[in-house]
Formats: sequence, C-alpha cells, structure tokens
Amino acid sequence: MFQALRSDNSPFTEQQIEQLKSSLVSLDAAQSAWLSGYIAGCLSSTNEANLPSAAAAAEPSAQQKFHVFYASQTGTGEAIAAELASQLQQAGWSVELQSMGSVRPAQLKKLQHVAVVISTHGEGDPPDDAIDWFDYLQSPRAPRLESLNFTVLALGDRSYEKYCEAGRQLETLLLATGAKIYSERVECDLDYASNAGQWSGQVLGYAHKQQPQQQPQQQPQQQAQQQPPQKPLTDSLAKRGAAQHLSVVPSIEEWTRVKPFKATLERVQKITALESDKHVYHLELSLADSGIEYQPGDSLGVWANNNHEIVTAILTRLNIAADAEIEIDGHVHNAHEVLVRHREITRLSADTVLAYAAVAGQSELQQRFEALESAARRDFIEQRQFIDLVEEYPLADGSVVSLEELADLLRPLASRSYSIASSRAEVDEEVHLTVGTLFSNAIGTERKGVASAFLNHHLQAGDEVGVFLEPNRRFRLPENRQTPIILIAAGTGIAPYRAFLQQLAQEEANTPVWLIFGNPHLRSDFLYQREWLEWREKGLLQHIDCAFSRDQDEKVYVQHIVRQQGERLNQWLQSGAQIYLCGGLAMGKEVELAVQEVLAEQRGLDADEAKEQLAELRRQGRILKDLY
Amino acid sequence: MTDAAKLTPVEGIKARSNFLRGSLLESLADSATGTLAEDDTQLSKFHGFYQQDDRDVRDERRRQMLEPDHQFMIRARVPGGICTPDQWLAMDAIAAEHANGTIRLTTRQAFQLHGVVKRRLKSTIKAINDSLLDTIAACGDVNRNVMSTVLPEQSALHQRVFDDAAAVSQHLTPNTHAYHEIWLDGEKLTGEQAAQEHEPIYGATYLPRKFKMAFAIPPRNDVDLFAHDLSFIAIVENGELQGYNVAVGGGMGVTHGDPKTYPRLATVVGFCKPEHVLKVAETIVKIQRDFGDRTERKHARLKYTLDDQGEEWLHEQLVHRMGFSLSMARDYHFTHTGDRLGWQQTDDGLWHLGLFIENGRVKDQTSDQSGSKQLTGLREIAKVLKGEFRLTPNQNLVIAKVAAADRAGIDQIVAQHGLDSWNRLSPIRENALACVGFPTCGLAMAESERYLPELIGRIETLLEKHGLLQQAITIRMTGCPNGCARPYLSEIGLVGKGPGLYNLHLGAAFNGTRLNSLFRESVQEAEILQILDPLFAEYAAGRADQEHFGDYLFRQGLLSNSTHSTTPQSLSTPLNRLQHE
Ligand code: SRM
Ligand SMILES: Cc1cc2nc3c(=O)[nH]c(=O)nc-3n(C[C@H](O)[C@H](O)[C@H](O)COP(=O)(O)OP(=O)(O)OC[C@H]3O[C@@H](n4cnc5c(N)ncnc54)[C@H](O)[C@@H]3O)c2cc1C
Ligand SMILES: Cc1cc2nc3c(=O)[nH]c(=O)nc-3n(C[C@H](O)[C@H](O)[C@H](O)COP(=O)(O)O)c2cc1C
Ligand code: SF4
Repeated sequence: MFQALRSDNSPFTEQQIEQLKSSLVSLDAAQSAWLSGYIAGCLSSTNEANLPSAAAAAEPSAQQKFHVFYASQTGTGEAIAAELASQLQQAGWSVELQSMGSVRPAQLKKLQHVAVVISTHGEGDPPDDAIDWFDYLQSPRAPRLESLNFTVLALGDRSYEKYCEAGRQLETLLLATGAKIYSERVECDLDYASNAGQWSGQVLGYAHKQQPQQQPQQQPQQQAQQQPPQKPLTDSLAKRGAAQHLSVVPSIEEWTRVKPFKATLERVQKITALESDKHVYHLELSLADSGIEYQPGDSLGVWANNNHEIVTAILTRLNIAADAEIEIDGHVHNAHEVLVRHREITRLSADTVLAYAAVAGQSELQQRFEALESAARRDFIEQRQFIDLVEEYPLADGSVVSLEELADLLRPLASRSYSIASSRAEVDEEVHLTVGTLFSNAIGTERKGVASAFLNHHLQAGDEVGVFLEPNRRFRLPENRQTPIILIAAGTGIAPYRAFLQQLAQEEANTPVWLIFGNPHLRSDFLYQREWLEWREKGLLQHIDCAFSRDQDEKVYVQHIVRQQGERLNQWLQSGAQIYLCGGLAMGKEVELAVQEVLAEQRGLDADEAKEQLAELRRQGRILKDLY
Repeated sequence: MTDAAKLTPVEGIKARSNFLRGSLLESLADSATGTLAEDDTQLSKFHGFYQQDDRDVRDERRRQMLEPDHQFMIRARVPGGICTPDQWLAMDAIAAEHANGTIRLTTRQAFQLHGVVKRRLKSTIKAINDSLLDTIAACGDVNRNVMSTVLPEQSALHQRVFDDAAAVSQHLTPNTHAYHEIWLDGEKLTGEQAAQEHEPIYGATYLPRKFKMAFAIPPRNDVDLFAHDLSFIAIVENGELQGYNVAVGGGMGVTHGDPKTYPRLATVVGFCKPEHVLKVAETIVKIQRDFGDRTERKHARLKYTLDDQGEEWLHEQLVHRMGFSLSMARDYHFTHTGDRLGWQQTDDGLWHLGLFIENGRVKDQTSDQSGSKQLTGLREIAKVLKGEFRLTPNQNLVIAKVAAADRAGIDQIVAQHGLDSWNRLSPIRENALACVGFPTCGLAMAESERYLPELIGRIETLLEKHGLLQQAITIRMTGCPNGCARPYLSEIGLVGKGPGLYNLHLGAAFNGTRLNSLFRESVQEAEILQILDPLFAEYAAGRADQEHFGDYLFRQGLLSNSTHSTTPQSLSTPLNRLQHE
C-alpha cells in the first residue's frame, strides 16, 4: 500500500521514501492501521488532555494508573481491552483492566487516563455490564469529571439499525461531565481487527506522551521497539479469530473464527412436528480430534455458505459474469465464489441499500429508503435480502455494476453463533445445536437465512462445516451446584438449558432447577419434550411451566408465567436462585420487566425500589442472559 | 376376601383415589405434557375418557423427541341409545369444536369423540353434560351404558323395556361427587360431607372389572344379548310384558395365546318380574363386586366368576341376598342379530328410518366424489326432527318417531347427503361391524375400521361369483382379541393378530346364540379369500332352505378341523333352548 509513495506526492525525500518502503511493505493492513493510530496518538495535541496537575501529583498511584474498561456481552470487546492492557503494561504503565460492571461509577472521579471498549447489544442497548454507568451518568447525581481523559472503542454490527449506539452514547455522556477525549472514537463492524488495531495504536501513542514520572523517558520506547507492539495485539486477537488478515498462524489445536475446525455433521433431525409452522432442527456435529473443549453455556461459531441459485440470480440480474475475478485479502476469487463464501447477501444494512441504489442508478430506491423513518428503515432491511432488493429495484438502464463495486457494497460474510445444546460430559466429542430456520418474505418470495438454511436444509449427514468455539463465561452453571437455577427460554433459547441438564445429570448434582419455556403449540413445538419430561421424572427438574402462546384464545408467554408464579419465583430468589434468560431479545426485555413487577408485588416495593433490586441482582451476576 | 398383596395395581389406584379424584386436577394443570399422571389414566375411565395417542405418528414423533401425540377418547352414555335432536346437535357441535370433527357411534349404543386434547377435556365434558348426556361410568370398573332393543314393532313395549333399562342405568351410576367437582365446577365437599361420601352399591374400590348389561325384546337380538355380563330377555304375552329371563356371564374378551381367557355366551339362569329388575341387577352386581377376581384383570369378569363358582352357587347367593329366588326361565326365540335398515312402521303408526353408518363413523367425506356429507345431513335432520334418534347396538342410527307426513322431508335430506346407502347395500355390508382399532386404540394389533370396508368389497366379488350376494352374512372385524365388535358372534369373524394378520373365526349363529370357532390363525387377506372361496361354493350348493352360512358350516361339521373351539359351557344353555324350541 506504500508503493504509491513518491517524493512528488509526499513530504519525503527519495531516500526517506526508500527507507519507509523497505520497513513498511512487510506490514499488513492491521499492522499499518495500528501504526497509523500510534503515530496519530503521539502527535495529537497535548493541550486537549489534562496534564498531571499538582492536585493529581498528591496521589500519583491513582492518576498514573491507566484504566482500561470494557462492557462486553460476548467477549470480543473484553479480548481487545485485555490486549490493549498488556501493551500498556509493556509500555511501562501500571494498568487496571476492569469490566464496567465491577466498578461503581462514582469511582470515576479519581481517574485520569481511561480507555473504554464497549459493544452494543439488544436494539442499540449497552451490554448489561454498562447499565449502571449509563443510569448513573444520566442521573442528576452525575459527577463532574474534569480530570478524566478518555477514548472509546465502539463495537457493533452495521446490520443493526443503531450502529455502535452504546459507544456513541457513552462518549456523549462522559463529555457532558466535562471529561476530555484524548483520541477519536473508533467504531468497528464485525470485522473489527484493523479498526481496533488503529484505536489501540492511538491509545498507546497518547500513553507514550503521558509518561509515568517514576519511569525513565526512553524505557517504554525501547520496550516499544524491542517488542513490536502489533505482535501481541495481533497474536491474541488471532487466537480469538478476530484479526482476519494477520499472518500469525495459531497453534494447530487452536481453532478460530479465521481458522475454523471442519466439523462433520452426523445427524440433522427436525424436532418440531410436521404441522408446526416453526422449522427447528437438532444437529449433531463431530468435533473428533479438534481438541475443542466447550462448556455448557458456550456458543459455537458457524461459517455458512450462501445459496448458489440465489447467487447466480444476483449475478445474472447485475450482468456480472460468474467467472469474473477479483482479489480479496490477497487471494483471487471468482464472482460466484465471492458471493457464496465471502459476502453477506441475506442481511442488509442501510449502507448496502444506499450504496446499491447509487451504483444501480436506483434513485427511486434511494429516495424511498431515505424517506423512511428509523423503524420503517429497520423493517425494510429486516424484510429484504439482497436478491429482493435487486429484483425489486433492478439496474437502471445504462447503469453498470462492476464486481469490485458489488464486493464493496456488500459486507463481508460474518459467522453466525449458536448456543451449544449439549454437554461434553454426556456427548463426549460431539456438539449439538438447535437451529430454527429464519424466514423472511418481503416481496412475496420466501427467503431463508444463510446459516439456518445452510445447516437445516442444505447440509447432509457426512458433510463438513467450519466451526469455532465462542466461550460465554457470562452464561455458566453456578459454581456452587446447590444454587437454585431458573431457566427461562422461548423457542430455540432452550438449547443451552439442554446442555445444563445434561451436565447436571452426569454430575448427579442436586441443583434445584425450574424450567419456564414458551413456544406456539404444546403438540408440535415443545423442543426436546421427551428429555425434559424424563429429567423431571428423575427429579432433576423441580418444575416445568410452559407457555404455549397459541393453544388458547388469549396469548400466553413466558413473562405471564413469571407473573403467575410470582410467589414461587420470589421464594426461589430469596433462597439465592439465579435467573437465566435465553432466546429472543424482546422476550428477555419482557421477562426482566415481569421479574421487576414480581419483586414489587411480592416484596411490597414501589417501582424504583424494585428496579434497584433487579439492578442489584444483575450486579450480583444472578441474571444471566444469552439473547439474540 | 383376597389378601391385599395379590391385588392388581388398579385395585390400589382405586382404593387410594378418594372416590375417583386421584390427582386428576394436578394432571390437568400440568402444562408440560398432553398426558395425565399414570394412575389418573386408570381413574379417567370412570369419568368417561381414555388417554390415547395417534399411533400413525408415534415413530415420527419419537425421532422428533416429542412425546406421543396424546389425545383423549371421550365416551358419552346414551341408555338404550335414545338421544333427542337437541342432544344430537350438541354432540355435533362438540365434535367440531373440541374433537376431531367426527362422531363415533359405538357397538353399545353410545357416542365416542376422538382427538380431544387435554386442555379441552373439561370444556368438552361440561358441554356433554349440559346436553343432559353424561360420560361418568361410560368406561371403568362399573356398570357401562345399558343397551336395549332399538325398534320392536310394539312401541309401547319398547317404551316399557327402555324405562327399565334407563332405571337400571340410573340406579347403578356411581355416587361419587368427584365428577361434579372436577368437570362441572361443583362445590368441593365440606369436611364432614367428605367424611360421609360413599358408594352405596359399589364401595370404595368399585367393581373388579367393567360390567355390561343389555335388554332384548325377542325375536330381535340386535343387542347381542349373550355377550354381556348381565342381560334381560323381555318375555311378552299378548302384548303384555310378563317379566324377563335373566342371562348371566357373557363376554367376548380374549387374550391371544392365553387359554384361560375365552369368549362366553351368557347363561340363562331364570326369570324375574319387572318390579324385581332393579333388585336382581343390583344383587348380581354386588355378588360380582364381592367375588370377582381382583388379583387378575384378565380373569375378573363375571363370566369367570360364574365358571369358577358354578351356577348353583349363584342361585344360593341370589336367594341369600334377595330373600327370594328366580323362577324358571320362560321360552323365547331370537331370529336375528343386527339392525333392520330403511323405513319401518310401528303399531302406533309412526315411522322409523334405519340408516347405515359405516362402522359407526359419522363424518363428512372430504375426499370421495360421492361426497357423502353424513355429519351435515344428520345435523339438518336434527334441526327438523320432531321425533328422536336411536343409536343402534350395531353402530347404526335410527331416525325414530317420524309422522307419515314428515317422511318425504327426511328422505330428501337423506338423499342429498349420501345417507341413503342402505338401499344399495349388499346384505353382508349391512351386517358388518368393525371396531375402532388404529390409529387411536392403544390395544390394536391390526387395522379394523379403516380396513374392513375394503376387504368386504373383495368378499362381495366372491359372493357374487357364487350367487350369494343377496345372502345376509354377519362379518365382524376387530383389531385385537378384546372383541369390541363382538367378532366371536359373527358367521365370519376376523380378529387382529398383527399388521395385516388376522385369526379367522367361522360358524357363529346368525341369531347370536352360538359362538364361532377359530378356523385358521394368522392369515392375510389373500389367504382369507382363498379359504372363503371354496366354502362359499359348498354353501351355495349344499345349503338347506333359508339356512345361514354359519349354521351350514356348523351342521356340516366343517368346523371340527378348526384348531381351537370355544369352551363347552359357553355354548350350553342357549343351544339347549334352541333345540327344544
Ligand atoms: C368403541 C368400542 C368399539 C366400537 O367400534 O364401537 C370399543 C372400543 C374400545 N374398547 Fe371395547 N369397545 C366397545 C365395545 C366393546 C365390546 C362389545 C360390547 O360391549 O357389546 C366388547 C366385548 C364384550 C365384553 O366386554 O366382553 C369390548 C371389549 C373390550 C375389552 C376386553 C374386555 C375383557 O373382558 O377382556 C377391552 C380391553 C380391556 O377392557 O382391558 C376393551 C377396550 C376398549 C378400548 C377402550 C381400548 C382401551 O382400553 O384402551 C377401545 C377404544 C378404541 C377407540 O379408539 O375408540 N373393550 N368392547 C365399543 C364401545 C362400547 C361402548 O359404547 O361402551
Ligand atoms: C449468542 C447467540 C446465540 C444464538 N443461539 C442460537 C440458537 O441456539 N439457535 C438459533 O436458531 N439461533 C441462534 N442464534 C441466532 C443465530 O445466530 C442467527 O442469527 C440465526 O440463525 C439467523 O441467522 P441466518 O444466517 O440464518 O439468518 P440471516 O441470514 O442472518 O438473516 C436472514 C434474514 O432474516 C432477516 N433478518 C435479518 N436480521 C434480522 C433480525 N434482527 N430480525 C428479524 N429478521 C432479521 C433478513 O431478512 C435476513 O435476510 C444465536 C445468536 C447469538 C448472537
Ligand atoms: C443479540 C445482539 C444484538 C446486537 N445489537 C446490536 C446493535 O443494536 N447495534 C450494533 O451496532 N451492534 C449490535 N450487535 C453486534 C455486537 O455489538 C457485536 O457483535 C460486537 O462485536 C459484540 O462485542 P462483545 O462480544 O464485546 O459484546 C448485536 C449483537 C448481538 C449478538
Ligand atoms: S377390539 Fe381391540 S383394537 Fe378393536 S377397539 Fe377393541 S381394544 Fe381396540
């Protein structure tokens, strides 16, 4: 990428350019991103940041610490934060790495150098860990934080309407307290490696200028040189399968998002009855010899291929030859392959819609889409796949779309996550998934989601599929097996609970378990019904309460059960129970609300007190979520 | 009487059930399953319903990790089969709203609904009771629906006998309050009410087994009088009911390969006056209550009690308990079983239309082009009918008490909805019975209701070949040896053994007074036809005037080579009577 550097288009001399090129060509995207961030960080004007004041000097330890906070639901942000912390340490800093959930926001007053990694979940919501901070910073009690210098890395996914919302809001809230930004907020889509790298670079650059007094000037620099900073960053991100373009090869048993394990599908079985309008399948994959050790509560990342017919249809409509070639990440692919393996054609994003409208000369589409207000936009996006877009708004006469343009306007294909529905204690080297086919039907033609269709309807027993582990330490069985657990799920959300019960059954643990499950019909949609009944028979399950929404005239959902069973729920909570929520986001919200109402009713509290007790339960980690 | 250790599990369940309550309420509230708790599936029968599952999808659902497709069969009692047009309309509506949209007329003049799911049980049972029918004691170890001849010439006599049948049914209905509590939102009993609750006739553990009664008015034996635990043969002299011959110990149920089980014809043990019917019925029920075998359900019916203790013992018990004895049985004569279809007039001038309902399954044909819409048709009739419906003991239906003027209107509805098949039927089809069997019956080993019509078609071809198509022959099929369609009383009996496999029984008397005997075990359709073909030929050639197929085979001793013939005592009495008549 530096080949373009010439003395006539840059401030450098020929000789400098030679030196630059010789040292820079070896860098790949992420590394250069980091470097650019680093340089930017170093050069950023110092007076923005508050230099150590006399007052601060009074307690150097507090100020001279560098605080790295993260609010992470599925662990990505945590990994990035951990990596940054280790780099800061190598740069000679004493670093505090903490989840926002474990820090009372009031403590912010004391801090000076802060870096925050925060993802967005729900529909533009902050991760649970950040909820206290948001409440606090929005409340009248919000403190003045003049001496705080911070920067935010916002993680997100452009397919969601409120992209990186939590990060953006957090920044606004902190600014309102008088805190200062020392380097630009960076936002990351699912392929976050280079942006995250660049941001970390910025932070280290800034840190470099804020040298802790107790350390000699050059020492950190030397360290920085002896230890190419991008190395550890890239290395451990690669481990987490994040840094898509890094040359680092993980050790062989280290299967990652970039280097997934080829698991063999052993069994696919539909587990909703024939007459059901849900299409939920049970899949059994072999992890033999992968060394992948998952735990109940973890998810499995899955790489799916797009549907060949649809890809062909798209290319034909855009007059792009299937064998047209293009280079992506240093590899040459033909058009068909690119769309099948490397690009999202099922989940749209606002950017994709508008970019397509532009290249396709579809002013009508552009106008219509821009006219929509946010809710309608989301529906527009959720209801359509790219093929729908292309069929509904074809190329305007005369407009031409090149393969390059197409590859640019479509986002890179992301892996999909599935809660693991088995326990190794029970199934050994297998992993089980519970996958519901996701249908969308915008323009009358029924479309299926890429991953759910690939797994449920395309793969045959014996076929291979690329998978990798997505640990979820936030959704585990309680360490203390005496702790009662209340498992609440709708639809496929029941998957991880099957893993839990398999585990408890193998351990012959006597954990009190209460399952609350919801789906449309008892007759056709009680996923794994035989197993649940058997476990109840054996005494592993104390209670099963089901809400079959469409079995009676009035709709009944899990949150209704929570209310009906308020007394028991409260008793369980009083005996230390943990509540698990898994399934759709909307369900999660409703149930939390119901729990709050139960607390109010059963404990005679007003709304605010109940809200606070719920928050307390969250802080205690007694409300565990796996929502999607 | 028998020591508790040896009692069957069901006896324990009854004893613990607190007059049939068990944990039914909890079972109904369990949202995780379509089933009842195991013990409750026994108690539910006393309340009139059976837990079943759609066996067609059992395997499929096992793979889907779903429990079997549980659903319930609800049986509504209709003493003597008499049902008002309003009651019919109610059942029709209930079947559509709560069940599988069909009404099943049973071989005991009752209604059955299939495919009722657990959460609908209560509303269904309540609706049935609102229509003034009920389901209590339709099943279970109690007296079941009491049968009575549908259509004698003399309507006054019919009314008289029906009243006795209804009275007996009423008198022997369980007393428990549980039924009202659970299904009809009846008040829970207070402490001392509960303490006083009791079953005056049955006692806390009810009977050792089901108990069945029938009333017949000769010469018609449409109720298959000899198939029941206790039955009454109306003895009429110049139009006046003198009283009843009492027959005891009939039953069909058998278990394959268990020689200790056998079908048995009731033994006529004497005669009683009309005013003694209740007393006799109650006493015989109590005798069976006290002496029936509670240690072995396969051996618990009255027929076994009687064979174990002997007829003398029964008379002693009766005298001892009633203070008087039965007098000598009077002569009687049955000419036929089955129903008479088509229009008939009774001595009161009213008309009655016997309709053929294939295997008792009333439904609207969705598939076939003939488009018979029997359910709709009968609904239309019920709306205009001034008389009543009568469910026959042979799964058919009589539109009863129609004034001559109204016949045309009925005929029109009948024709429009394909209910007029009776006037096109071959006699063998007219005289065919098949039990329910697959897919709902949990005990079925082979197809029955869904298969017999097909098989009869092929048998008709044979009969035609031998010029016998107009010959009335009784043919009955059951999916297992329990005998729900009374197959051991048919000239051709087919008893399910396994998928596509039947035991072929031959040679019962057309009038239901002689059992058939096993002719060949485990035969498939092809063999069945191969066996019947030459027998039809012989019969066509060698029959005496008016001689029925079964009687011919019996006379020719063609049954001697059968691998198993029914136990002598089960033949004894009725045959003796036949001979000196
Ligand atoms: C509906 C009906 C057959 C029909 O096609 O009409 C019927 C259907 C069943 N009978 Fe029956 N029996 C029916 C008349 C009979 C008869 C005929 C009769 O009573 O005139 C008999 C032979 C007479 C007798 O009782 O000996 C009969 C002997 C049995 C037996 C064997 C009893 C025995 O002593 O061995 C069983 C099994 C049992 O009781 O253990 C049985 C059990 C059953 C059950 C409830 C199966 C079960 O226990 O799970 C069947 C329900 C099938 C379904 O899906 O509906 N059914 N059953 C008849 C309902 C009569 C009614 O309205 O109450
Ligand atoms: C931690 C985690 C665990 C999960 N566990 C499970 C599990 O156990 N079982 C399971 O079945 N799924 C699970 N999911 C969801 C799963 O990851 C996929 O999102 C789901 O299978 C749909 O993916 P897809 O590729 O089939 O559909 P996509 O191709 O992603 O989308 C298909 C179509 O659906 C529409 N669409 C896109 N986004 C949305 C939206 N947000 N709402 C509504 N419609 C939309 C669009 O039209 C799109 O074209 C989990 C998700 C997460 C994050
Ligand atoms: C259920 C769910 C909802 C999400 N909602 C949003 C959203 O509204 N906006 C957004 O920008 N990203 C959204 N994301 C994407 C995540 O922010 C993104 O995957 C991020 O990398 C997760 O980081 P974490 O593992 O640190 O939580 C969502 C992800 C999930 C699983
Ligand atoms: S005879 Fe057997 S198969 Fe037929 S209904 Fe009775 S129990 Fe079921």
